[in-house]
Amino acid sequence: MKRILSSVTDGKGFDIGLVVLPLGFLFVMSGLPLVYNVVMSFQEVDMFSLGSFARPFVGFRNYVDLFSQHETRPILFNTALFVVASIAGQFAIGFGLALFFWTNFPGASWLRGLFLVSWVMPGLVVGAIWNWILSGDFGVLNFLLRETGVIDGNIFWRSDPNYSLWAVIIANIWLGTSFNMILLSVGLSGIPKDLYEAAELDGANALQRFWTITLPMMRSTIGAIIALGLIFTLQQFDLFAAITSGGPNNTSNVTQYWAWDLSFRQYDFAKGATISVIMIVFVMFASVVYVRSTRHEVRG
Amino acid sequence: MGIRRFAILGTVALGASLAAFAASAEDVTISVWSLDRDIQPAPNLINDFNKLNTGIKVEYRQIQFDDVVSEAMRAYSTGQAPDIIAVDNPEHVLFSSRGAFLDLTDMIAKSSVVKAENYFPGPLASVTWEGKYYGIPKATNTIALYYNKDMFKAKGLDPNKPPQTWDELVEMARKLTDPAANVYGLTFSAKANEEGTFQFLPWAQMAGGSYDAINSDGAVKALDVWKKIIDEKLASPDTLTRGQWDSTGTFNSGNAAMAISGPWELDRMVKEAKFDWGVALLPVPEPGAERSSAMGDFNWAIFANTEHPAEAFKVLEYFVSQDDRMFKDFGQLPARSDISIPETGEPQKDAALKVFVEQLKYAKPRGPHPAWPKISKAIQDAIQAALTGQMSSKQALDQAAEKIKAVLG
Repeated sequence: MKRILSSVTDGKGFDIGLVVLPLGFLFVMSGLPLVYNVVMSFQEVDMFSLGSFARPFVGFRNYVDLFSQHETRPILFNTALFVVASIAGQFAIGFGLALFFWTNFPGASWLRGLFLVSWVMPGLVVGAIWNWILSGDFGVLNFLLRETGVIDGNIFWRSDPNYSLWAVIIANIWLGTSFNMILLSVGLSGIPKDLYEAAELDGANALQRFWTITLPMMRSTIGAIIALGLIFTLQQFDLFAAITSGGPNNTSNVTQYWAWDLSFRQYDFAKGATISVIMIVFVMFASVVYVRSTRHEVRG
Repeated sequence: MGIRRFAILGTVALGASLAAFAASAEDVTISVWSLDRDIQPAPNLINDFNKLNTGIKVEYRQIQFDDVVSEAMRAYSTGQAPDIIAVDNPEHVLFSSRGAFLDLTDMIAKSSVVKAENYFPGPLASVTWEGKYYGIPKATNTIALYYNKDMFKAKGLDPNKPPQTWDELVEMARKLTDPAANVYGLTFSAKANEEGTFQFLPWAQMAGGSYDAINSDGAVKALDVWKKIIDEKLASPDTLTRGQWDSTGTFNSGNAAMAISGPWELDRMVKEAKFDWGVALLPVPEPGAERSSAMGDFNWAIFANTEHPAEAFKVLEYFVSQDDRMFKDFGQLPARSDISIPETGEPQKDAALKVFVEQLKYAKPRGPHPAWPKISKAIQDAIQAALTGQMSSKQALDQAAEKIKAVLG
């Protein structure tokens, strides 16, 4: 007994405890719901069987039904477009801003801090504000574009099927840019200054320094940011709820909003779970990328 | 939440011990859930009821609109449902068809307060499932056409002759639309949620369609008229993503000359609208055609697993007995045809009320069907597919009919 106790306080037992505790926590808080969700996707579930576990199993019927629906393909395509465009926009603007603030002009750190405001705001508030900005008749964006002569007539960002998804993407880029910027700034400040001084002495110009020093040194940070960005954009729900509700006619609908709509508006919990399972596969992929890129970070 | 629950437990415990002292320990406690806030009927009626000391003590819990169904079903499936709940009328049958609500038919037959014949047919149908009553309508509402009389005058239209038919509506909307002044002829909601269905079904029904015959010629014609209104920009393209409250907001600010919405707009309109306005019945397909309208608002129901069905029904009887206060005190329309609504002294509001009460006679419930949300979704998708030009009205409604047929089985 004493030996066990002492091994817990200092020794192997302590190490095991360190592993078991978070693992147990993860299993109870994430593992079980995940398994439950997968099981649900193979069952017939409605609002009244939600409280019991003994539900009829239907095999792959939910999956077959889901893929035979007209809207499934466009929604999957929308999701891919939303993720790629959002991450590309957030990353490009975020990296540009990070490089800009890296030049360390007076007040740079203050301004950088202020940019975080967008990240701190709740998604529904951001959504409501963008809802006004993007509104067709009296929207601020249309006004600006019209006054600068970019467009002649109003663009109905939320209601035109050609623009509705882009309306949410624009809002999401705004929302995620500052987060990208901060992480990239941290990565930038970790690069030793003497590398640049040496390169400058060797006569490398700014572009060469960027390509041969900055980018390679930032590899792990960039990997982590893109993986996190994938997870955050796949989680993005508030903006859809606030701006387009997935409309018109599903042209701005994505899997995460659709899963909610099926589960909590149409009470088809099994289909909602089925979509979630499909999304889990994608998030797993992102997690692997994230883990790999941060592992690299620890070693270096 | 934890603290609040403790606080509630504490109060309950305190209340219970006090009650024991007062030697009225036989009090039956009935719990009521609804979404009514402090200025709305439920909490006030419950306060009044508790003052009567009938030996029944009522406890109230307010729930949010979006949580009503999910909270209720979670509570029911874990055996913690309240005795009484207020649910939105298209979702009522979801519960009654599964036996989650108590069959009140016999109690209503014996009751001297609740009489089925006092209710408008629409609300009554929404609590009915297979010929039995599983609830009592709490209040009701419907939609009609608001119009800006000043704009009618300015465009040479008679402000006392609002459009009677669809053709007149489109014709007048054309005259009233003025892009230079940022004015659309009409505003309504075709949003991809229940509001879109709520607004479209009356049009389909007036032309002989219904949710189980959504691709009938009349419904196709109705959607064609909507499409014409959107295509000619007689209404804002944002109609597709804007709810009723926001779209009527543009009417109040003078950016739309007519609006289709319900009596819940009245108080705000009296306050905000800086012009003379009126309300008319929804225009019909052609003169003399059948009228129809949407029907909204909540119903009371008793959960089937209540331990005190008789007491719970007594509480409902009390609520019903106070129906004549609904409009005066809480600004809601009782779902009954035997109650005459007193004047408010606000002439525009009083005139509007007469129209809404008339329109209520033609209000039809959505469904009732246990899988209503799926049926509604099919209709919303069809509306949006047609209005965005991705399909013709006929194609879109054919597709909706196919989906609805699969749901109806």
